Amino acid sequence: MNARHVWTVAKKEFRGIGQERTIVLAILLQVFIAMFSSFLVIGLTSLYDPASMDRSGSVYAVGYAGADSPLQGILEADDTFAVYRMDLSPAVAALKERQLAAVVYVPPTPPDAVESVQVTLYTLKNDIQTAVVGVELKEDFEEYETLLRYARADRLSAAPIEVAVPAGTGGQSFFLFIYGLLIPLLLFMPAIISASLIIDFITEEYSAHTLDTLLSTPLTFTEILWGKVFAAWVLVPLQGGAWLLLLGLNGIAVHNIVEVLVHVSAASFVLILLGALAALHFRDRTNAQFIFSTGLVVVLLVALAAPANPANFIVLLAAGADVPWHWAALAVVLCGTLLLATVIDRYARLIARRAMA
Amino acid sequence: MTAVLLLALFLASGLAAQSGVHLQDGLYAAVTDDPDVAAILAHDPLFTVHLVDSATLSRGLAGYDLIISGGRTYTAETEKGQAALSAFATAWRHYRNTVYTAEDDLFAAYPLWIDTVEVTSELDFTATESGQTVSLQPQGESVPSPSGPVEEVPTPPPVQAMPTGDLKEKLASGGNDQVSRYVDMVSGGPDLGHFKTPSQLAPPLPFDSLIYVFVFIFPLYFTSQFYMMTIANERVDRRGEALLSTPAGPLAIILGKAVPYFFLMLAVSSAIILLTGGSFLVLLPLVPVIVFFLAAALLIGMTARSFRELSFLSIFFSTVITSYLFFPSIFANVHAISRISPLTLVVLQFEGTGFSAADYLYATALFWLSSAAVLWLCVRNFNEERLFSQESLTSRIISFVRGAMARAHPIASLVALNACIIPLVFMVQLMYLVLLFNIPMPFSLILLILLAAATEEVAKSIGIIAVLRGTPGTFTWTNLVLAAVATGAGFLIGEKLLLFVMIAQVTGSVFGTILFSGVGLLWVPFLLHAGGAFILGAAVKAGGRRMYLPGLVIAAGVHALYNLILIGGAV
Repeated sequence: MNARHVWTVAKKEFRGIGQERTIVLAILLQVFIAMFSSFLVIGLTSLYDPASMDRSGSVYAVGYAGADSPLQGILEADDTFAVYRMDLSPAVAALKERQLAAVVYVPPTPPDAVESVQVTLYTLKNDIQTAVVGVELKEDFEEYETLLRYARADRLSAAPIEVAVPAGTGGQSFFLFIYGLLIPLLLFMPAIISASLIIDFITEEYSAHTLDTLLSTPLTFTEILWGKVFAAWVLVPLQGGAWLLLLGLNGIAVHNIVEVLVHVSAASFVLILLGALAALHFRDRTNAQFIFSTGLVVVLLVALAAPANPANFIVLLAAGADVPWHWAALAVVLCGTLLLATVIDRYARLIARRAMA
Repeated sequence: MTAVLLLALFLASGLAAQSGVHLQDGLYAAVTDDPDVAAILAHDPLFTVHLVDSATLSRGLAGYDLIISGGRTYTAETEKGQAALSAFATAWRHYRNTVYTAEDDLFAAYPLWIDTVEVTSELDFTATESGQTVSLQPQGESVPSPSGPVEEVPTPPPVQAMPTGDLKEKLASGGNDQVSRYVDMVSGGPDLGHFKTPSQLAPPLPFDSLIYVFVFIFPLYFTSQFYMMTIANERVDRRGEALLSTPAGPLAIILGKAVPYFFLMLAVSSAIILLTGGSFLVLLPLVPVIVFFLAAALLIGMTARSFRELSFLSIFFSTVITSYLFFPSIFANVHAISRISPLTLVVLQFEGTGFSAADYLYATALFWLSSAAVLWLCVRNFNEERLFSQESLTSRIISFVRGAMARAHPIASLVALNACIIPLVFMVQLMYLVLLFNIPMPFSLILLILLAAATEEVAKSIGIIAVLRGTPGTFTWTNLVLAAVATGAGFLIGEKLLLFVMIAQVTGSVFGTILFSGVGLLWVPFLLHAGGAFILGAAVKAGGRRMYLPGLVIAAGVHALYNLILIGGAV
């Protein structure tokens, strides 16, 4: 195989991408997503954990109704709440008018009673601020629960081991969301786009009948194939790097950038080869894309089900965890890629020979 | 092949369900000298745990996110260390709960139970209309007193009649609140009421809507892809030539090809509704979304020059439209903006609040009108000349517009075209609103003014450019003035008509004033619209294609300035 020929085909595909402004669209898309990625991050992390949303010292009004209890003292001691002693009906009415953030009703059950203490909590339906209030209330309820449990301690048979965990430790979800979910998603998006691009690259030659013209030049079929694969693959580290840059601009530091990009590039090569295989086999875009997307789901599911998969490595590396054996894992992925590449090369040769015959 | 793949898919999902998804395994490094703690952490795949003896630990260790020794926790002073501590807190809470759930005396282990009652806010959107969110913070020192009528709320019973066995079962099964919450919602799982222990108290999330959006929109998006593909396939190889030569007109061909996909999409949506147990009223707001998806698929299928372009255009379109549908509906019940998305109506219907005819008109009018405009454009251009030419995307759109105009009546065509373009312009502008209303007030306003002005000028220029390109010779300065007047008139007519249809929340807000030039005498906005069109048209006439961008900047600048003065006068 002649490397210069491969490069010629790759150049042709790049020119095609540039001319059709498809790459402009891709960049636009990326900027578009980056534009609201900060909002996306905040919005989706709050889905993950509303506690990460707002701890800026806001004070929320809470209505307290029913019997006297230590809970009232706990709520009053919390700086987050201004507690108002009220009757239940006007309190709920004030809640509906958003003058209160929540209403707590406490029954006259004694602390050491046989039955449970059942507190009723009234909150607003589907409200972002209520989610924040709920997190604060939960902490106070847990404090009251500990108090009640202590009053009933002689009825318990076993006690869990105690470890002092500092109260109010939020924010892990934010970290987990960014490094454990957002970064792998963003990095594998270019890989998936490139894999469907290779399908377009190949099926287009068939549908536009341009393959014969190409083959009449000194290029061989496999050279054309690898040129296309190369063109699609190079986009992955470029786009992935752009994502990491954009995340950096948004204040999210990604560790081990080079290693992360190497892993993404290696894993995406497998996906692109699978796309190429589907395109070679079906020659028709609709079929190839459909089979490839179904196959993609299968591959991703199987990969994610295995511990220590490439995506997991990317998460660990991006978060700055120490992964001494990730190069070994990379070697395994590369071996698999090589195997797949050989299969495809053989298959392409077979197709070319059959076409000649 | 498909059968093999489906089998593989089935097996793979089984495998993934069995072994779980390993994406964050070993993210945090923890070290401890306590075997019990190590056992707790070993259950959590997030941790890699090292058990060492106390002597090693006391010599100090670097490179760990979390150190637990002697019942105390120490963390690395990094974001990751904090995250690890918080993850440990969760793991430890799970462990403690398993110990307590094994207790015989349930109410000694779990003495406190919370019964959650959600009430619907009765607030109208007067406050949120001006772009502010209503806080739940106390207003002054006095005890809040409701201004409206007070309904009698029954005193909750002191003890809930629920068998202890059921409660125990619920405690044992309640591992992951966040996940089970959504699974239960979609599958309609066992409802054990709102009775919870404090640690189970998942805060009421406003994001239930998220699920609906994904569940409903993604099948629609995929099905419309197939429609896009059949249209593109007609063009590849000139395969559609035979179809075009039959007596069936373009409309018949387009609709005939769309009908199967339309019903497929309806069927998928209905199946989802049946599965989730929702009301079939949900279909009402979904139909305009389906029609819009099909119209967009048709346009993309007709304009993309190659499959690559088709791929990118469809990805771009789906991202944009999903955010348009998705972001507002997150704020259902919170912000007036939410009402611009039909998906919000779906959410409201699922919540049992329902929606009024006015809400429906408001949320879906733009979808109906835009679909109609796009469909008409496509029908006018569904002919051999357009389908099989190889122009670039922008010039293709321009020729589409030119193709849709009546050549004999260019001025009347310009008026009609600009009136028809309005729904699309409104959609784009509402999109900006959706994206920007989270940004602090002065920035969001300035960005909105600039973007809205630029969008309107671009939209107005399309018609003039199309005429200019089609018949360059006839475009004298007099004709340009006439064309600008026609453009301004058409734009104004469309704008006022649509505002009349959509007398609703957003149009009355500060944001609405900027976007839609809502106030003022009719001739002022008319002069503005015609003037902008003239500036841009004159720039292109004088300097050719190169002058388009400078012309746009000047026209948008004038437009933005006018809006700024308007806001200055209004505030």
